[in-house]
Amino acid sequence: MVHALEEIHRLLRTQGILLDIHPVPEPPVVQIIDGDDVLFSEPDPGYDYDDDLRHAEAAVATVLGRGLYALDGSRDVDFLTHAASSKELRDHFASAGAYDPAPKDPTLVAHQEELYGRVDESMARSSDSAEVVYNERARLNRLLPLR
Amino acid sequence: MTIRTDPEGSETDALFELADLDGAQVLEIGSGDGRLTRRYVDRAKQVMAIEPFKDAIEKAEREIRRESELITFRHATFEDFASGASDASFDVAILSWSLC
Repeated sequence: MVHALEEIHRLLRTQGILLDIHPVPEPPVVQIIDGDDVLFSEPDPGYDYDDDLRHAEAAVATVLGRGLYALDGSRDVDFLTHAASSKELRDHFASAGAYDPAPKDPTLVAHQEELYGRVDESMARSSDSAEVVYNERARLNRLLPLR
Repeated sequence: MTIRTDPEGSETDALFELADLDGAQVLEIGSGDGRLTRRYVDRAKQVMAIEPFKDAIEKAEREIRRESELITFRHATFEDFASGASDASFDVAILSWSLC
């Protein structure tokens, strides 16, 4: 990761900008939302990117420490994916995840199954206007290459 | 209902707040299926979008190339791309959920 940041530094022009978008190291939240009402909200137990994120943040800290870049701004945003049902949401993620052959931890998958069971039960009691929302908190860092 | 990804535009708003893309040569690393690319491409001068997963980049090429001639999609890891890329060739690099 540090090498990638070094290479990006080489590819950027003097007044260039590196914008690093990454999820924050906390589990996304699965919600049921109807208008302004949040009817259900639980963290995704299938979330398993903590180590990768820590390595990524350590890599950024390393290049900042070396004076390769300066951190020049940061924003946290809620990145929401809306679906009509848990099935639609899961099909969407399965499709996106199909690009990545990395195996999933079966224990986390089992806990995720239980969560989506609870989502389905709650959706069955909700009005037709309710939707399932996957809420991932993301951070955007603006890094300026230093020469 | 079809899936709606960030219909609030939170990610794009923050992107535009932090990086001036007007007329910029942009390198997007980990462009996936072009979900983010299509939201900013109209501001950029040119976008080089690289993605290691073939299915994702093929989907992006199918769905976005028709919309914009400004994007070049490249099926490559960043390491492979960078080994052949010239110094100081981009104004903005976007690590699109891809450093981790």
